Amino acid sequence: MNGTIAKLALQALLGRRRFFLLLAFPVLLIALVTLITALTDGDAAFDILPGLGYPLVLPLVAILAASSVLGPEVDDGSIVYLLAKPVNRYVVAISKWVVALAATLVAGSLAILVASLITGDTTRALGMFVGAVVAGTAYSALFLAISAITRHAVIASLMFVLIWESLLGNLFTGVAWLSIGQWGLRVGHEVSAKLPDPANLTWAVLASIVVTVAGVWFAGDRLRSFSLRGED
Amino acid sequence: MSERSGVIHDLGYRRYDGPRDGTATIARTLYVTGLRHTYGLGRSGKSKILPFILLAMATLPAAIVVGVVVLTGLGSLPVTYADYTNQVQLVISLFAAAQAPVLFSRDLRHRSIVLYLARPLSSSVFAVTRWLSLTTSLLFFMWVPTFLLFAGALLAGLDKSDQLEGLLKAVVLQLLLAALVAGVTGLISSVSLRRGFAVVGSVVALIVVSGVVTSVQAITNAQDADGIGVAAGLLSPWSIFSGLADAWHAGVVTFTPPGSAWALAYVLVAVVLTALCVLGLVARFRKVGSR
Repeated sequence: MNGTIAKLALQALLGRRRFFLLLAFPVLLIALVTLITALTDGDAAFDILPGLGYPLVLPLVAILAASSVLGPEVDDGSIVYLLAKPVNRYVVAISKWVVALAATLVAGSLAILVASLITGDTTRALGMFVGAVVAGTAYSALFLAISAITRHAVIASLMFVLIWESLLGNLFTGVAWLSIGQWGLRVGHEVSAKLPDPANLTWAVLASIVVTVAGVWFAGDRLRSFSLRGED
Repeated sequence: MSERSGVIHDLGYRRYDGPRDGTATIARTLYVTGLRHTYGLGRSGKSKILPFILLAMATLPAAIVVGVVVLTGLGSLPVTYADYTNQVQLVISLFAAAQAPVLFSRDLRHRSIVLYLARPLSSSVFAVTRWLSLTTSLLFFMWVPTFLLFAGALLAGLDKSDQLEGLLKAVVLQLLLAALVAGVTGLISSVSLRRGFAVVGSVVALIVVSGVVTSVQAITNAQDADGIGVAAGLLSPWSIFSGLADAWHAGVVTFTPPGSAWALAYVLVAVVLTALCVLGLVARFRKVGSR
């Protein structure tokens, strides 16, 4: 963990318009849930969270955070100046991941906690929050790794979330075993039985840890053997 | 050369006196090039991967449906043409979000727009041409599975007039949808020049907003407040599409189907929104081009 790199990554994340896009997600989610709670009741509003907030807003925030800390530098090639510094590449990856993780947890998981608290039922809200923290951690590591591999990181990550987890996950229940969102829900189920329990708890915990560690390690490994490529 | 004896160097430059193609030819070439680039044609092999994977994902279910109809001898398609487009909206939205920056961000980010505008092509024509390219490419993306279904239905011997009616309704709706989606994603990508942010912005505008609208419609329907749900449908291209398809009995079922007056409003809003997006694009390219 290198303080300077983390600080620079934070500045890149909070710089200008990006910050507003990142801020828009939690604000809109909470506003929508509040509106529906006011119009109908908490249970109808809660359906927004497993239907929209958790499978869509949380990964989008993670994608935005992970690609903001690494993407622009890879994009314009200025990452070579960072890599020229005598800093361990894994430390670079970890420092950037910590910033992406913090942003995901604040703008994603915390927003989900607040939104589900608004709908009432504290245990259910805590369950959602635990699930969102687990999933947000694994998501940010995975998307950081994807950002280190390809310039089309955002699209590749979106395809993982939208096509694999959402579209195919709704059609084939077996996808739950290979879906970060479902692992998070499984862990959250331990806190509140109102959440679904796909897959197996041990598997969900182990798989989340493996994806997180492997994702950050892989990002560092890619940075270690980084080669600049032109735009295709 | 003998009469201009004072010239030290005469390299023999000559003026071009032949016919010159005007703006129309430039615009047409630009249109075709843009159309090809949205599928990565004429570009590196890597940029062909994504559009064709997405096209395959949008087409594969249609092939399966045709196979099922032929093998089991069903009397009708299990899904209508408009409903099929509605079902694969995720893939279509991803294609639009991923490929709009190819047409609208790149030239602005790398300032190659200056080279385009150095020719007798105004920035407004440039913007409109790019929008037409994206619209056509989206239409093509939706028409491949649609016409595959149609061909399969005809070959399986289903009723021709029924199928033709469904197809025509779907094609008209797709035309409206493609123009609107191209306008929205194009405007987002021309404002946000970093590819990643343009993609996320488009995904928010197409997928997140449509998810929000659908849940609002479901809730208002359950609360017997359909009017709010119908009005909320105006906020997203996909809910406009599905609402219109429902009102037109094209086989899509929504929570809050708009009545005939609302359907007219849907069409008007779609057209006005598209026009606004195109105007926004023109304004954006004018501003950037004049710098």
